[in-house]
Amino acid sequence: MRTQAGELVSLQVRRKRVKCLSPEINETEVRFISRMLTRLVGEMNATVCEQCGKCSSACPVSKMIEGFNPRRLIAKVSLGKIDELLRGDAIWTCTACLKCRERCPEDVSPYDVILILRNLAYRAGYGYPAGYDDFIEGVIGRGFISEPQAVRTRDGWKVSRGDLGLPEVSGPGDMAQFSAVVKGIIKAGRQG
Amino acid sequence: MRYALYLGCTIQSEQFGYEASVRETLPRLGVELADMEGVSCCGFPALNSVSKLGWHYLSARNLAIAENMGLAVLPLCNGCHLSFVETKHALEKDPELKNVINMNLDKEGLSYRGDVRVVHLLEALHDEVGTQKISEEVVKPLEGMKIASHPGCHAIRPSDLQKVDDAENPRKLDDLVRALGAETFDYPEKIDCCGSQLALTSGRVTLRIAGEKLQAVKSYGFDGLVTTCPFCFKMYDGRQRAIKAALKDDSLSLPVFYYTQLLGLALGLEPARLGLQMNRSPVDGLVKSVLE
Amino acid sequence: MMDKPVLVIGGGVAGIQAALDLADRGLNVHLVEKSPSIGGVMAQLDKTFPTMDCSICILAPKMIECSRHPNITIHTLSQVKEVTGRQGDFDVKVLKEPRYVDESRCTGCGLCSEKCPTRVSDGWQKGLTERKAIYVMFPQAVPLVAKIDSEHCLYFQKGVCQVCSRVCPAGAIDYTQQPEEISLNVSSIIVATGIQELDPSYIGEYGYGRFKDVVTSLEFERLVCASGPTGGHLDRPSDGRHADRIAFVQCVGSRSHKNGYPYCSSVCCMYATKEAVLIKEHDPGSEVTIFYMDLKVYGQGFQQFVDRAKLHWGVEYVRGRPGEIRRNPITGDLVVWYEDTITGDVYEKTVDLVVLCTTLIARPENKELADVLGLKLDEWGFFKSRDPVRGHIETDVPGVFVCGCCHGPRDIPESVAEASAGAAYAAEVSRRCTP
Repeated sequence: MRTQAGELVSLQVRRKRVKCLSPEINETEVRFISRMLTRLVGEMNATVCEQCGKCSSACPVSKMIEGFNPRRLIAKVSLGKIDELLRGDAIWTCTACLKCRERCPEDVSPYDVILILRNLAYRAGYGYPAGYDDFIEGVIGRGFISEPQAVRTRDGWKVSRGDLGLPEVSGPGDMAQFSAVVKGIIKAGRQG
Repeated sequence: MRYALYLGCTIQSEQFGYEASVRETLPRLGVELADMEGVSCCGFPALNSVSKLGWHYLSARNLAIAENMGLAVLPLCNGCHLSFVETKHALEKDPELKNVINMNLDKEGLSYRGDVRVVHLLEALHDEVGTQKISEEVVKPLEGMKIASHPGCHAIRPSDLQKVDDAENPRKLDDLVRALGAETFDYPEKIDCCGSQLALTSGRVTLRIAGEKLQAVKSYGFDGLVTTCPFCFKMYDGRQRAIKAALKDDSLSLPVFYYTQLLGLALGLEPARLGLQMNRSPVDGLVKSVLE
Repeated sequence: MMDKPVLVIGGGVAGIQAALDLADRGLNVHLVEKSPSIGGVMAQLDKTFPTMDCSICILAPKMIECSRHPNITIHTLSQVKEVTGRQGDFDVKVLKEPRYVDESRCTGCGLCSEKCPTRVSDGWQKGLTERKAIYVMFPQAVPLVAKIDSEHCLYFQKGVCQVCSRVCPAGAIDYTQQPEEISLNVSSIIVATGIQELDPSYIGEYGYGRFKDVVTSLEFERLVCASGPTGGHLDRPSDGRHADRIAFVQCVGSRSHKNGYPYCSSVCCMYATKEAVLIKEHDPGSEVTIFYMDLKVYGQGFQQFVDRAKLHWGVEYVRGRPGEIRRNPITGDLVVWYEDTITGDVYEKTVDLVVLCTTLIARPENKELADVLGLKLDEWGFFKSRDPVRGHIETDVPGVFVCGCCHGPRDIPESVAEASAGAAYAAEVSRRCTP
């Protein structure tokens, strides 16, 4: 009756060191953070969790990785061990499949709690997985995660958008304005 | 039927085979696709983790652009669909959030009202075009082929926001597969995740999660797998070789398609126009038998 | 001068107990039951907890006593449609549906059912087998009289057949019967209309309705009962294969604020244990696992019953609500994914049969009956008592009492005790209003 996986993999997330930023407290951001915290503790009802185990037994990651268990994560939240979670790797290991949200009988949704914890970890300066950087920089700089590339086909040739008769991609009209707005929203309120 | 076609980052930059197959097939079924100007990333999968506010902003600006066009928006990627639906719901529930978003959108000359309709490709094909119409247009039925349907997590969950299909027993992609003359049946892992989002933090485990599903699909006797999401496709198709290596299973080999690619083949279109040359999985065998 | 009779609505174990208590005291009782026979849910069970008595064996003598008791008049196929008046003087209109069989002539021989050509899904056997359009509800039915299901009977639908009237040796078939209105004047009313099982089809992750081998507890009771569709052999509904590995899933639809009922269904921990022990008694080599959240076994002898199940019978108890149940399309096995929340490990378990212990919910007829009697219903459709502590059997309407599951899930010992309490209240009303 062991897990299909056999050996359980232990968590090891490559973290990016975050540089100290001067704390620009943005009122909007503060209100949003406090609303998220309220949701986490109040509306999110992590304390209503009966620890039944439906989320963890539905979770695809829980079956494979030791140290990731949405039920235990919620238990930690309701016990107030939030800082421990923010510093840890577990919150970055969710694959956002939403099965836990779908099935929780008390409407707790570990996925939503994890998302809020990730946001808080970022703001607290505890860092985030290295892979996220390219995505974030891409969006701020280009409007998209990546630029159109020529892709290798099965036969080894390279094909581009134009080769398939596809139109050019259209990004934000005023890139500078877009970058500034998005940067302002994401980076505002980060503490060193 | 006319939709604002929202491509999203992954499809337009690398998975444009999917885009090609959509542009070829949907108009033949009476669906007009209008390109959107000035769009950006929807904010999934990395932005929402570092800034929910930023995520909602990015999705809202794309929805605002669709609103300006006066059309329902058709995101081709499951992740984009999730972003739009969550954002629409969040901004509806929280007027203050909507206000903050609009204040920022204003700097870009945009404004979000909240009346835009978000339509998933499965809804467009199954509910609005209909399986009847699709089977009528089929000239090269996929006879004798057993195709496993993989709708993907964000097409079917969360069911409390927008019910594209039943979350535990999704049928729409199956019906669409059958409309092409192919066979399909229910299998236990159908609603399982491909594991893509986990690839950002634990690549090895992701390959195992995806690989076990592929192994299971193969064991039930399916000839191929079909999906509507570029993340799922990239995992099962693009990374199939890496999956084989990670699972140490050389026999693991399964053709993976976008639904619209199979649709195109059944409608009698050329494989090259459907981006089939870009599929990394061994699709040639199946494609050949359809064309004969 | 004769005391006024008492009306008991509902012929399950609670209604039967109340009727017998009152009748033995010398009061007349009208026992009104909606279905063709009295007995209720208890008649469908195989055994009762914690004594493991054969359910119908302890109920049937009481059912027979009701039918023979000079002070009890049983009205089956009847429903209360109108009530006016007040405590001590209620005017009641009862509507009796036609049985199309003369109760005074039918001997319950069963020849009509044998010859009837029409098969219908048998609701009493929880849809696991079929009955005929003319049928006796179950072997121990009281009254032991056939009934014609006019919605499926060929004569009523198409004007043909009539085989039953030709073969009936007692000449009891009467197609001309009409609905009958009965007027009663009673001093008090006892409501004992009972309860029903939730249909868990909407809980998609458990596959009920999609997978034939995922069954509810009442369906399981029929499967394991000697008078059931498989003669008591625990055979899988899908392929008839014997079920050696069984899983019980607790709290299905209950203790859920989302898409379910927040209350605890009260009896499931005990009946799951009872059913597990039943399986082990039949087949000690079987593997039985109960997936629970908490073990709510506070009645007398209940904890010892569970301990015996664990230690003597080897029933496995796992604390963890399963996340999903899957079916392997090739082998037909069911797979339960769960977390053992005590150790924190996620496992899958392959089983042959899954029994869902679904919530007990209010019967939809409660709404109409509440309007007729002027009673209040709680947010889940159960009748409301006057006060949960001091007036548990009384309602806001003087002279109307509730007992048994009609005001919430509870077990048989409790229902019977409440029935006697209701009878005592009713007897007192009768004594006080008799000049």
